[in-house]
Amino acid sequence: MPSPELPGTSEPLRVSILTQGQFLIVSIHTALDDTQMTRLQEDLIEQVGRQRSRGIIVDVSTLDVLDSFATRTLTQLAHVARLRGAETVVVGISPEVAIAMVQLSLQMSFVHTALDLEEGLQRLGELTGALDEAAFLGTRSRG
Amino acid sequence: MDGARSELGPDDQVIVDLVPMVRKVVGSRIRDPHLVDDLVQETLVRVMAAHSRVEGDTMAPYAAVTARNVVASYARRNDRARARAHLLAHGDIDSSERPGDSLLRQEDRSIVAAALARLPAAERDILVAHEVNGDDTRTLAATRDTTPGAVAAQLARIRAKMRVEYLLVKENLEPPTDRCRAVLRALSAGDRRRQRELDTGAHLLECDCCALVSAGLLDRWSASSSDDEMRVPVARDADVVTARQTGRQVAARLGFSPTDSTLIATAISEIARNIVKFAERGEIVISHVSTGGSDGISIVARDVGPGIPALEQAMRDGYSTYRGLGLGLPGARRLMDEFDVVTEVGKGTTVSMTKWHSARRRPGDNEN
Repeated sequence: MPSPELPGTSEPLRVSILTQGQFLIVSIHTALDDTQMTRLQEDLIEQVGRQRSRGIIVDVSTLDVLDSFATRTLTQLAHVARLRGAETVVVGISPEVAIAMVQLSLQMSFVHTALDLEEGLQRLGELTGALDEAAFLGTRSRG
Repeated sequence: MDGARSELGPDDQVIVDLVPMVRKVVGSRIRDPHLVDDLVQETLVRVMAAHSRVEGDTMAPYAAVTARNVVASYARRNDRARARAHLLAHGDIDSSERPGDSLLRQEDRSIVAAALARLPAAERDILVAHEVNGDDTRTLAATRDTTPGAVAAQLARIRAKMRVEYLLVKENLEPPTDRCRAVLRALSAGDRRRQRELDTGAHLLECDCCALVSAGLLDRWSASSSDDEMRVPVARDADVVTARQTGRQVAARLGFSPTDSTLIATAISEIARNIVKFAERGEIVISHVSTGGSDGISIVARDVGPGIPALEQAMRDGYSTYRGLGLGLPGARRLMDEFDVVTEVGKGTTVSMTKWHSARRRPGDNEN
């Protein structure tokens, strides 16, 4: 299942969700509109349960902006995921996007952040306490 | 086939007799012998096609003129092909005629005639005298006891009117309100001052007829204004993305830093979302502004929605009517240098914001 699709929606979501051990790695390929953000959120929440994931990494480096809606969606995702036993790390926030978020006074509660995917995996390993060595090192060496 | 051709024997002979002369006319202008053959062929085909319409003794001069025209149009084609040689994809698109073309031309002619008929007689006469008969403005001015400049200005106005009528006839529309024609003419003439007076932007959002017709009129001006002004219609979620990406592109082109471009894109995202959430449709106009030595980017978001009943509250952080963060308007205000909201309940909302080029702000000094 390369691109997740919700029933009833014809257009594929331009996001890939990879499973790496107990972690879900979400890479977004293009700017997403509000409907697509919401779909991604619902899809991830569903997959956390189905795959019994302990952590989610969302790479937002290709998102052009993180405005109030995108931030709220990620925050809600992290909140729901935590209630279901998974931690969320957002990686790849560019300096420009970070400055815009500061000026907008946007808070990302429940969300952990890391600079890039590698740091994000390490962070998740620490947070979940379940250092899945195979998954962790596997990604690292491919790095 | 053969039988028919042998019946036309004498006529064919007339054509055959023309060949040496045509060859001479073409040969004196073109060196390549193969090309000469081709063009002689083409000339003969045209002469044969016109055979029935041309008197026997004028055949030779007619053929000579046709030969010259064929050579001239070959040269034009050749020049154009050379000028477009680098455009691989567009090479010969418009030099070959498609089957429906003549039908379309005919239809077009009847639309033009219908549009012309809608103009007042005096205006129609002057337009036809200039565009069809080729009378220059000085001649027209002399016969009308006025100046060439006044005639030129009048012609420009009539052409603007004519474009509007042409599009109305073509789309088979009758403007629903009295204002429509005035608005469309101002757009057609590219008259910015008149457009402001009439508030054409708001009218186009309200009036489906004008929105449709104006697309044809605005195309004319998009070439001259596209660098400085971009319009993005906003009705769906996806349009929010288009609007903010367009804003970022314009900002980058105007020389804003990546950080400022992102701030601008984020502000556009917030106000464009408001249009999608609260109003049925609207538009965002992104343009370049300059006053007194400083220049910047101006973003105007206009909608025909319900308006904002509690503007004071809406401008405060955390006030939200759709369970958002309530950061839309106040957030956009913090990201930009100037911010203004005009709203009328039941009619719509216009948000105007500007970011100046010189004002390089850092995170933290966001209080003005």
